[in-house]
Amino acid sequence: MLDNDIRTDKPVLTLKDLSIEFPTPKGVVQAVSALSLDIHKGRRVGFIGESGSGKTTTALSVMQMLAEPGRVSGGTIDLGGTDILGLSEEEMRRARLSRVAYIPQGAMNSLNPVMRVEPQMWDGIIAHEGHMDRAELKRRSDAALQSVGLPLHTGALYPHELSGGMKQRVCIAMGIILNPELIIADEPTSALDVVTQRQVMQTLKAIQSEIGSGLMLIGHDMGLMAQTVDELAVLKDGELVEHGTVQQILEAPKHPYTRDLISSVPLVGGESFLNPDARAEAPRRDSSEPLLRFENVRKNYGAVTALQPLSFTLQGDTPQIISIVGQSGSGKSTMGSIMLGFNPPSEGRVLFEGQDVAGMNAAQSLEFRKNVQAVFQDPYACFNPFYRVNHALKFPFRQFGLSKGEEHTQSAMEEACEAVGLDPDLVLTRYPHQLSGGQRQRLIVARALMLSPKLLIADEPVSMVDASLRASILSNIYDLKDKYGISILYITHDLATAYHVSDFVMVLFKGHVVEAGPPREVIGAPQHPYTQLLIDSIPWPDLQRSWGDGKTDWDPTALEAEAAKASAVYRGDVPGFDLALG
Amino acid sequence: MSNYSTDDNTAEAVSPAPLTRAEKRQARRIRRFDNPWLNPKLMWGGGLLLAIIALGIIGRLIWDLDLVFTGSSTLKLPPVGFENLRGQPGVWANPLGTDGGGRDMLALIIIGAPNTLFVGLLASLIGMSIGIFLGFSAGFLGGRTDDVIRVGADVMITIPPLLILVVFQSAFGDVTLTMMALLIAGFVWQSPTRLIRAQVLSMKQSGYVQMAQLSGASTTHIMFREMLPNLVPYLFGSFIASVTTSIVTAVGLEVLGLGPQRIPTLGRTIYEAINAGALIQNLWWWWGIPTLLLAVMFIGLLLINLGLDEVSNPRLRKLS
Repeated sequence: MLDNDIRTDKPVLTLKDLSIEFPTPKGVVQAVSALSLDIHKGRRVGFIGESGSGKTTTALSVMQMLAEPGRVSGGTIDLGGTDILGLSEEEMRRARLSRVAYIPQGAMNSLNPVMRVEPQMWDGIIAHEGHMDRAELKRRSDAALQSVGLPLHTGALYPHELSGGMKQRVCIAMGIILNPELIIADEPTSALDVVTQRQVMQTLKAIQSEIGSGLMLIGHDMGLMAQTVDELAVLKDGELVEHGTVQQILEAPKHPYTRDLISSVPLVGGESFLNPDARAEAPRRDSSEPLLRFENVRKNYGAVTALQPLSFTLQGDTPQIISIVGQSGSGKSTMGSIMLGFNPPSEGRVLFEGQDVAGMNAAQSLEFRKNVQAVFQDPYACFNPFYRVNHALKFPFRQFGLSKGEEHTQSAMEEACEAVGLDPDLVLTRYPHQLSGGQRQRLIVARALMLSPKLLIADEPVSMVDASLRASILSNIYDLKDKYGISILYITHDLATAYHVSDFVMVLFKGHVVEAGPPREVIGAPQHPYTQLLIDSIPWPDLQRSWGDGKTDWDPTALEAEAAKASAVYRGDVPGFDLALG
Repeated sequence: MSNYSTDDNTAEAVSPAPLTRAEKRQARRIRRFDNPWLNPKLMWGGGLLLAIIALGIIGRLIWDLDLVFTGSSTLKLPPVGFENLRGQPGVWANPLGTDGGGRDMLALIIIGAPNTLFVGLLASLIGMSIGIFLGFSAGFLGGRTDDVIRVGADVMITIPPLLILVVFQSAFGDVTLTMMALLIAGFVWQSPTRLIRAQVLSMKQSGYVQMAQLSGASTTHIMFREMLPNLVPYLFGSFIASVTTSIVTAVGLEVLGLGPQRIPTLGRTIYEAINAGALIQNLWWWWGIPTLLLAVMFIGLLLINLGLDEVSNPRLRKLS
């Protein structure tokens, strides 16, 4: 199945018929079954699959760090000639970090907040090689920091003084400090935005080829995998469904699940995953005032300005999707919460149908709530764990006086569930923890549909949902506009989806709108350096569109500094939406 | 403790292959894991407290409570099966012996033990109610209200309750049980207030509260229908902890000779025993029996608290 090019010596890691099970009250859960795989020296192997497919479990079993009550029920794990499962706790301790290093998912949580970075790196050396003098320790930690492209003074800082990307690079530096044979990176960039992600992944690639170890990269993003790894292992429900080189898998996927994974990545300029329907009538509006209007809205948090003065008018006579894209910290979520009235602006006014959102009385406020709904990022937190999920649908329906009795509520709920592709009998009477993230997010969309608001604010609605479900949830949201005539503000960091769903795109950078216009122009042919930077950072699941390997030729800090100087680019208008720049 | 469940046979009948000992134990643990309320700690703790309440109720029905008055029996009789220093053997008329005033020990604990528990429960019930009210107000309203409540609770927490209560009680002279519970309640509201405030603050940011706000829910709805049900495990835990604190405070005062003068309580019995030199005269049953009952009470409360922790926090529940 594999091409036989670089087959030098024994593989660094051999998994043979590995099975891992978790005994639970409901019976034994087979997390991984009969998985066989080799990782060779200097090769990068990606493990891709949805949450719950057993990728992390496999990685943890190699470290012998399976969470209780999980256990390896069969097969062998061979790390460069050592049988891992036969090692004692003390022998395993010595093998960790020195032979196999683990770079965890949330770097923010894996550094000790009360220690400077350097001593934390020294801890690893001392634990494996005993005490040595300070100058030697310093030399080695400096070398490690340098190799991940961090300035040497970083070592004397505390973790809270570093940015997310820097922390993740410190974690990589710690992982490679003892030159391990195998590096396991468990979604090392999942908490980072695209620009930082590209930087961190390039660092990881460069350092891995420098020390020549094997790399096991765990992730769910096909694009990131295509840019990073040599071989790809596709996992589904604990089984290895496909394994081959990236090229083989991207160009000729054999398993239907792999095909799903690849096609679920939206591409800029690629084929649309939406099937636009007949245009729906906008909901009949009693007011001639524009639906939503920002008048010089500005938001400060202390001395920091999260959102620079911004004015726009959304007419709302024809349903539209306005996308707001930007990195974390660009002010896009602040904008969302200002629109919802959760967060009063520091300056300026937000008008909904001519009414100032800040100065509404109780009745107006209820009417505003009814007409402006939201879909939030985290579908796991949106349901009260105490109630069955239908509480979240039933309650607002009654509260806004839409219900004409118990039966009407029930039929409305069922109808809404069916509209988003859920079986009402299966999901409505469950508790939230019994449903997957995708199901929950669809229920939230169903909730919005039931209330038929005039405006929906979707704040990163799919960023926490498994990749294969993203497209279908986005098309559910798109349907709200197309079939039910709801105007939508789509807040996201994902330019590819914004390209497909929206009628108008605003790119936010440090609270400023830097580029705005129709998506085909803004994202398809960006002009502002910041938009270009964002587009360049997207990991395309396409080997022709590579990031490149060098780590020196691409410096996001310099590019951002340049972007900050450039003036905003305005790329034309769409009817019904007016943006005033300035 | 882990072997009290006895359904080994059923486990064998269900599975076709005979199970090993370890597997059977595993199956039992899994069953227990499935229903968190079948927690052995919780059941033992609850059992101990119920036993004390049952002692109070059944005792009142079958024992002559007039024996609690001074001089109703012979002085300083030992429990049945023992002899005191004078060589008098215990008699069945006073199975747990009598104290230096000729009061029957059994009658004393039948009345005294539930009294002590009552003070603890009432004080923490009042304290918790104040705590829930203030904690919710501080966490939910924020701003100036929060500042006042938070600083107030923090200041109150630094004041040693016994010191103030000693002054209060000596000024009041004789107090009733309810009065004493009220006084103690003034010192057990601070930690529930802080706990609930912290929980409310974090819950206020949670997605489901935002969803409820979007649904046009009123503040009362959010507080009592969305937040409070999720606080129940914390409230239970905090309640049990404050019952313990209240009882310790109450017994502390009673042992100092403060608190109700005419009503028998466990603490007062210990105070009288110490005062009458029971230790020197080797009248161990006089102070020993109430101490033992207090110990049982505290162990019961502790077990309930540990059990509730496991119920509300599944991570503490272990399969192996």
